Amino acid sequence: MLEQIKATAVNGLKLPKDVALGELLVSFIGRSAVTVENYRGILLYDDRIVKLQAKHYRLEIHGRRLHIEYYNNEEMKITGMITGMEFGD
Amino acid sequence: MLQWLNRLISGYLLMRMIARKPTASPERFFNLCMANRIVLWDISQTGEEYRFRVRLKDFRRIRPVVRKAKVHLNITGKCGLPFFVQRNRKRTGYLTGILLFFLILLLMSRFVWRISIDGNRQYSDDTLLHFLARADIRYGTRKASIDLERLEAAIRSDFDDIIWVSARISGTKLEIRVKENDGVDLPDETVRADERLSIPGNLVASKPGIITRLIVRNGKAAVSVGDTVEAGQVLVSGELPIENDDGETDHIRYVSADVDVYARTEETIRSEIPERTIKRTMTGKVRRGLRLTIGPVSFLFFLCPQQEEHWEIRTEPHQAVLLDDFYLPIQWDTISAKEYQIYEREWYADEREMLKKEKNQEKIEDFLEKGYKY
Repeated sequence: MLEQIKATAVNGLKLPKDVALGELLVSFIGRSAVTVENYRGILLYDDRIVKLQAKHYRLEIHGRRLHIEYYNNEEMKITGMITGMEFGD
Repeated sequence: MLQWLNRLISGYLLMRMIARKPTASPERFFNLCMANRIVLWDISQTGEEYRFRVRLKDFRRIRPVVRKAKVHLNITGKCGLPFFVQRNRKRTGYLTGILLFFLILLLMSRFVWRISIDGNRQYSDDTLLHFLARADIRYGTRKASIDLERLEAAIRSDFDDIIWVSARISGTKLEIRVKENDGVDLPDETVRADERLSIPGNLVASKPGIITRLIVRNGKAAVSVGDTVEAGQVLVSGELPIENDDGETDHIRYVSADVDVYARTEETIRSEIPERTIKRTMTGKVRRGLRLTIGPVSFLFFLCPQQEEHWEIRTEPHQAVLLDDFYLPIQWDTISAKEYQIYEREWYADEREMLKKEKNQEKIEDFLEKGYKY
């Protein structure tokens, strides 16, 4: 309920959602690099999958030879051969 | 780039982590590091083995995290300045070398190693360099001892035709730019001509010719277009007869004749060409050499030619320079010499013709420059 009100307010005020609602911001550079912002934690990491926890859901990056170039509490940059991305609960 | 440099200066470690699941959790390790603001980067994984890098100062705080996540860490490499210093602590020669390099660089940068002079046409570089040398400014002079403003003033006052001087020091180069007075000076004659206009007088032909155009501004024309005139003949008279109503001369007003006269004249020019010409031919013999100058010491690597031989010697100077304008007192001049022989022969007919045409053209240009129309 509260979330919905918040979402409506953010929509109405045209605020950037990634900031106001803590939404994920995922930017791909081709299929060789991806930057994920606003994630909460790392759930799984190996060279084929990176599973990240967002505020309300999970994000999976699939690929081969995945390599975490850097990460901190705001963003993470993954390079490698990315084959897909998936959202999960 | 900045981050890379920062990491290099503060030092970092290459780590290998073994995490045997399910007891150990690499993800927990990464999350805990994030929470404790321990920065990891370049993370890769193969099987149970994870490799990453960590800053030296963060590594000291990593132990509790390792224990919580139940992983095992090894150091596989050490990079950066702190380790480099530690490794090379005993190598005093190395350190002295580095320090000496900077010391010499610092010391040398306090002197002028090159003087460039620009914009001079009337005065040669040598003249100006000589002047500078008299003011105690030469290669190797301390930069701090040069008073640029006084130097500029001195150049301006010592060379009349230099109307603008800029001296500046860029790196170890003293740059002097001058501007010479190349504007057309009003020749004295023009001034005098203006004065002359106020004195009454006739205008007389200086050469024989046929008048083609006549524009009289002041005075009375004594000739008309188409007339043939002799040298010395009055073209325009400065006597202006003022007539009264009866058509008789009342009085004469004397003016200075002011007039543009165009006349066709002929000029015969005679110039002589020597009967024989002196020519050079290359014998094909070439010698190369080198002059190396380090500070005040100069070495010459060149086989000097004999007195009776003729050599055309060309020297090309080079100076060692760092970063465009840091000139070092090391100079090398490459010398190339070609032998030639001199012989005398008569002009060929076609050469003579060419020479004649050239001389003619030169004369014509001379006349055009003086204001003649061709």
